[in-house]
Amino acid sequence: MTSAHANPDDLDLYALGALDGEDKQALESHLHACPHCQQQLAAARQRTALVGLAAPAVTPRPQVKSALMDKVQAEKRSPAPQSDPLKTRKKRWGLRFSFGFGLATALLAFATYELAKQDLGRGRQLKQLQAQIAQDAAALQAMGQVTGAPDSAVIALLQQPGGPQGQAHVLYNARMGLAVYSGQIAPAPADKSYQLWLVPASGSPVSAGLVDANQQNGAVVVRLTPGLAAKAFAVTLEPLGGRPQPTGPMVLVGATS
Amino acid sequence: MTAQPQPVPDSALIERMMAGDEAALSTLYDRYSAMLFGMLMRILRDQQAAEEVLQDMFLQLWRNAAQFDAKRGSLPAWLMVIGRNRAISRLRGRRDREVLEEEEGDYANTFASGQNIEDEAVRAELARNISAALEQLPAEQKQAVELAYFEGMTQSEIANRTGTPLGTVKTRVRTAMQTLRQILG
Repeated sequence: MTSAHANPDDLDLYALGALDGEDKQALESHLHACPHCQQQLAAARQRTALVGLAAPAVTPRPQVKSALMDKVQAEKRSPAPQSDPLKTRKKRWGLRFSFGFGLATALLAFATYELAKQDLGRGRQLKQLQAQIAQDAAALQAMGQVTGAPDSAVIALLQQPGGPQGQAHVLYNARMGLAVYSGQIAPAPADKSYQLWLVPASGSPVSAGLVDANQQNGAVVVRLTPGLAAKAFAVTLEPLGGRPQPTGPMVLVGATS
Repeated sequence: MTAQPQPVPDSALIERMMAGDEAALSTLYDRYSAMLFGMLMRILRDQQAAEEVLQDMFLQLWRNAAQFDAKRGSLPAWLMVIGRNRAISRLRGRRDREVLEEEEGDYANTFASGQNIEDEAVRAELARNISAALEQLPAEQKQAVELAYFEGMTQSEIANRTGTPLGTVKTRVRTAMQTLRQILG
């Protein structure tokens, strides 16, 4: 793989998201150093994207466009509110989140340096670490946006009677559609996952993805639908991998006001 | 005989959006929303969820129009990738596909120029060709591609779901994609 170019089949499967295991790792290692195959992957991405055209076109309800254009109008008209009652609390949380990510990034950078010194043959581990660093750096950037915005809110999520011990906080900015979760809960059973939910003012809960039991020093940044007013956030115990809608008991809950 | 008016190119509409022209967003929405919504409905099978993802995508396009380099890529393909990633993330409760990979706009710069599907007639013909190609695949190949595309499964996950040896699944997906590659160019 390092000398010859990648198999076009592999590029298609990678673009499709179907490649996994060693095949995926080998291709990613090759792509890292091969501009030609990066170009071929670009073409494969475009090609495989079009498979979705096999789904019959469906015209959305007119209300969807109306709501979209209303949001666009509102964004043009109204900048973010200037009042900032949460400034002090947000700053403290911002520092804490930033410290966690900064520390993680520094450790990963150091680990990468050490690996590079020790053994050039550990390219795969290096690549994984580099990807993690890049992800953390991007998460940090997103987190900075939330913590720096005057219209972000901090929501404390508290444990429920009879449930596992735990506590968490969510920094949420509805305008940006960004939430930052940090917290700690008693470990979940092996066949279960903790799942974070945004509970909107109306309608069904919206999944904000899975969270680890110990998310105390490594906050999670979640991208949600911008403009979604939250009534509360909650963590539930779900079957491994999570579910599209909550099915398990609420472990942590916090209202936005 | 009267010549049909040429549609305004996506690149021009993107430039107008960057200048704050809401009508340009409206035109792009009218051009691509049905194509995207069909795909989102197929993945999510939930009208409300599909509507939310669709609206979110166009809002992101409005906010980040400058990230898209129309000279280097196809807007509908970019939208299809982002829409699919978001829908599958939502379907599977996964953040790994969507959380940060779209933010920097890298996708816009990773697409080669391809077929011009800005034109509705070209797009409709391509959709017919893809549907026909999928229908012509052996049932097990078609199923493998659909599980990968519409449910976001890897080859190993498809093998587990269908109770088929992994090697067999790999062969099926590869063969199917070879066929589609010939059609999609």
